[in-house]
Amino acid sequence: MLVSILHRATGDGMALVGLGLLVWWLGALASGPAAYETFLWAADSWVGMVVLIGLTWAFFTHMMSGLRHFVLDVGAGYELDTNRMWSIACPIIAIVLTVALWAYILLVKG
Amino acid sequence: MGNGTSIGKVRGLGSAHHGAHHWLVARTTAISNLLLMVWFIVSLVMLSDYSYASVTGWLSQPIAAVPMILLIFSLFYHARLGLQVVIEDYVHESGSKFALLSALNLAAIGGGAFAIFSVARLALTGAA
Repeated sequence: MLVSILHRATGDGMALVGLGLLVWWLGALASGPAAYETFLWAADSWVGMVVLIGLTWAFFTHMMSGLRHFVLDVGAGYELDTNRMWSIACPIIAIVLTVALWAYILLVKG
Repeated sequence: MGNGTSIGKVRGLGSAHHGAHHWLVARTTAISNLLLMVWFIVSLVMLSDYSYASVTGWLSQPIAAVPMILLIFSLFYHARLGLQVVIEDYVHESGSKFALLSALNLAAIGGGAFAIFSVARLALTGAA
């Protein structure tokens, strides 16, 4: 049940916050350097970082539960043990991917 | 029409005939979202820095602008489908439901068009 709630919550969050941010980013780029500076200032603030990391987590969580849906859609993975294992593994893999990506961005790339 | 029970309210109305299409398009856009988001994340991470010149230099190339426009279309389409189901699940009063679904369509088409136009402007005019 948690996977189902997370799928919807992360999907809604990305649709409302993520797409808003995408539109702002692209609109700022098309408007010119001054507008883009304002975007960068917001994205670089601690609130911006929380939002960006949160969106990354939402994306990987939605991606993992979405991939799980694809497997279930073809009729596989309904055995109780398998189903339970993946329902626990999906959100954990998503957290691992989020940490790995941001560790690379912040630590390796600098 | 109907005797007030749940089944009575829908009996004789038939299917809306949109369910299967909605289900399929949600999945085809999920696949394109997956492929294009992987491209998008890898591209962003590979950029040397996030200055105006670097980002517009990257995004104004056809090899970046075209997948970006496809990603915008795919994301907004998928988000519209997902939010539609949320509205249909939780809003049962037909007037409010119609208003919310209309607002959703306006926001999805408006937001998507604005984002695609922004990429097109960068790509067609060079870095502004």
